[in-house]
Amino acid sequence: MRKILTVGLFTFRELVRSKMLFVWLISVVVLCGLAFLLSLLSYGDILKIFMDLGLVGMEVSGLLVLLLSLAVTYNTEMDQKAIFLQMAKPLTKEEYLLGRVLGFFAMNALVVLGMGAVVVGLVVLVGGGVVPVLFYDCVVFLLLEMLVLSFLGLTFQMIGTTMVGVVLYSFFTILLGHCVGEIEWLLSKQLAPAARFLLQVVYYCLPNLEIFNLKDRVYDPTLVLHWAQWQDVLLYAFAYSFVVFLIGWISLEKREFK
Amino acid sequence: MKEDMSMTDLPCAIQIRNLAKTYKTGFWFKPKVTVALKGLHLDIYENQAFGLLGLNGAGKTTAIKLILGLLKPTVGQISVLGGRISDRRIRQQIGYLSELPYFSKQHTGRELLDYFGALHGMSGSALRHRVDEVLELVRMTKSAGEKVGGYSKGMLQRIGIGQALIGKPRLLICDEPMSGLDPVGYKEMRDIFIDLKKIGTTIFLNTHIMDEVERICDRIGIIHDGELKEVSMVTDILQSSVPVDYWVDVDAAQVSKLSGLPFQDAIQKNGGVQVTGMVLAETLALLTSRNATVKGVRPLSSLVEAYFLRAIGAQEHLAVSTGGRK
Repeated sequence: MRKILTVGLFTFRELVRSKMLFVWLISVVVLCGLAFLLSLLSYGDILKIFMDLGLVGMEVSGLLVLLLSLAVTYNTEMDQKAIFLQMAKPLTKEEYLLGRVLGFFAMNALVVLGMGAVVVGLVVLVGGGVVPVLFYDCVVFLLLEMLVLSFLGLTFQMIGTTMVGVVLYSFFTILLGHCVGEIEWLLSKQLAPAARFLLQVVYYCLPNLEIFNLKDRVYDPTLVLHWAQWQDVLLYAFAYSFVVFLIGWISLEKREFK
Repeated sequence: MKEDMSMTDLPCAIQIRNLAKTYKTGFWFKPKVTVALKGLHLDIYENQAFGLLGLNGAGKTTAIKLILGLLKPTVGQISVLGGRISDRRIRQQIGYLSELPYFSKQHTGRELLDYFGALHGMSGSALRHRVDEVLELVRMTKSAGEKVGGYSKGMLQRIGIGQALIGKPRLLICDEPMSGLDPVGYKEMRDIFIDLKKIGTTIFLNTHIMDEVERICDRIGIIHDGELKEVSMVTDILQSSVPVDYWVDVDAAQVSKLSGLPFQDAIQKNGGVQVTGMVLAETLALLTSRNATVKGVRPLSSLVEAYFLRAIGAQEHLAVSTGGRK
């Protein structure tokens, strides 16, 4: 456990010093600017606008930081071969992988929670409203999404052979992961057998990121999250992460460090 | 392969049997197969420094990566410190320095050593003490607080050797450790190796710097085209009669006295001639018989270098290409 924390802290420090927090800072500036503009222009519910903007900002900045983290660490570890020295140390491959994920996740959590604090500040201090309970559920769901994507991104690092490839795989997986509903809709239509098979493979391999999406329903008075729903989401997040971790671990085991 | 048989009773730090490695590159339907190592059979004894010599692409780095488990052998077995490299207790006792090591630029030298020390299971004051000790050893105490991104090649190499030494290794494996070092850094690194030898650390070096080998290693192996050609004690080589090339410096103004001799053109052009040890006496006799003034004779290579060139069959090729004796 101590070695996982050591690798995690090392990765986190590397990411923080690679100026990843600038993404967060830029997102905050954009969010506050938009919120100010919309508060001047809008006749609608300003609190809802702050909340919608904030939640989208939290997710986008988290995803951006994840993609940048993957690019930065792939360059250091794989392209420049910094991983060689670590693999020659008394460090198991699972400790290395879990440590890296911990580092990525800590970075993402910092950005998402930092952004969340800004959203709460906007709603309470500027809008003079109250933050709905579902907002906090939404933040936890977002963190779970980041955890799944951290595992997935790291696995792409283990499988991929170029930095661009790793970033593109991750980007399109995130994009398609949010289109699971559309894929389900397509599967309900008449399709050629080969196309159906292919679509089913994609459907079952992709992470269902919509399961973590509560953004549109934060102000829904009819929505109450029960423990059973929490269980489903938690189980899905950990099961998917575990399977992806196994694939990453096997890839690292089989990888040759030429 | 020629091998010395004088030490077979010594305990082995690394035992390699019938090791081979082939790489497949290109498309899966049209693969290109490269043979990097062929049937390597080698014992590295404890408390000794072993140097693996070879040209670029000879298979030295592949051998090291196979020993460390960074590559998987196509066939063959490797035993390191009596066990398998996949066992982390074995890796705990090994220090490794890769060729031109790369580190995250966002960390300081001290943070890097802290990290690698923690990977060796150290923590708290023991770790801090060991990091200070290693920084002192590799002469990096003053720059320890600076980020690695601002380090020179030589400083990176020193931090590299520092991380290899952090766990007090029983076996130190270094791939081209003198790469990028200036003469002072080179001497300091050499002194570190000599000190480590004194405390009983087994050292495995990959190199093509002959001087380094002569001063540090007890035993050398020569690898060429993926095949281990020879293994010998350095002391045996230094006492052997390996032919060394010499440069015979002749007064070019007296070239007219040398008409008809095969090296007349070389002397006219270069002011001297390169000859092998075997024909040195004969050459000097010829020059003396023509009353030519020989200004000096000096060896062009060390015995280890000559031994290496002979083992890889490069000596005659070199003699021809440098315009020497045909």
